[in-house]
Amino acid sequence: MTIATTTELICFLVLSAVVVIGALGVVLLSNIVYSAFLLGGVFTAVAGLYLLLNASFVAMAQILVYVGAINVLILFAIMLVNKREDLKAIANLTTRRAVSAGVCAGLLALLVRVVVTTPWSLPGPPAVGEEATARIGEHLFTDYLLPFEVASVLLLMAMIGAIVLARRDVLATDVVTGEVADQGLIEKARTPLLMNRAE
Amino acid sequence: MFALPGYDAFLGFLLIAAAVPVLALVTNKLVAPKSRAGERQLTYESGMEPIGGAWIQFNIRYYMFALVFVIFDVETVFLYPWAVAFNRLGLLAFIEALIFIAILLVALAYAWRKGALEWS
Repeated sequence: MTIATTTELICFLVLSAVVVIGALGVVLLSNIVYSAFLLGGVFTAVAGLYLLLNASFVAMAQILVYVGAINVLILFAIMLVNKREDLKAIANLTTRRAVSAGVCAGLLALLVRVVVTTPWSLPGPPAVGEEATARIGEHLFTDYLLPFEVASVLLLMAMIGAIVLARRDVLATDVVTGEVADQGLIEKARTPLLMNRAE
Repeated sequence: MFALPGYDAFLGFLLIAAAVPVLALVTNKLVAPKSRAGERQLTYESGMEPIGGAWIQFNIRYYMFALVFVIFDVETVFLYPWAVAFNRLGLLAFIEALIFIAILLVALAYAWRKGALEWS
């Protein structure tokens, strides 16, 4: 075993341990804010795994989108509704746990099947570093052009949908007074993000 | 030799960056006065007296900005490979990228028009 493979193995083991322990913490910790911060750590460790696989662009995208944007969004969403309510015992806990276990087992079976059936051998030597990113760019603007342009439309739809959901729409009425609400942003409203619609 | 060729500088950066907080705390421990009473126990809040707890409900305005930021963040990720491969791709890809940006400019115009970019 050369020193390069040893370094790679150590990096892989450390990153995997961070991912597994962090993910367990996300699920098991009772404080949801700690869970959100741990989720950021898990995302970062997954980016490290991508880096270890020479997928530097994917690692960069992981950090930029998941750690930089999505995790921040999750934190804001949590801190918006940061009510310190006592967690009540849920009815049918055993049934719920059994159903969750079934769903998770199904997902695991699917993943195992994908791992087994995927041909892992590469057609040629893998592109490394900047060359890999340039090749992604080439594919994006030739044979994956349509998905690329559709992605922009998808982003447009996401933006409009987010703004429409966050605003009080025309049909919304003020919950307290029953009057038709104005078109101001939700931040001016007394009502929460998902509010009652007028019938 | 490091396992990933070309990442030696990154590894060095990572080590130095990890050393910064450790060095800061160790220096603080060595140099700072040993008193542990009074104002030393307060949370540092830019020199102001801290008011209330840190576990407050955030203003919903932050959420709006985070939503808009996610959209443009993803747009950046899509444009980055184009920038790296710019010299090989030529004019057609330039026009395609312009279409991509134009569609997202509509999103920006919508957000602007609806007041999602305003703080007040």
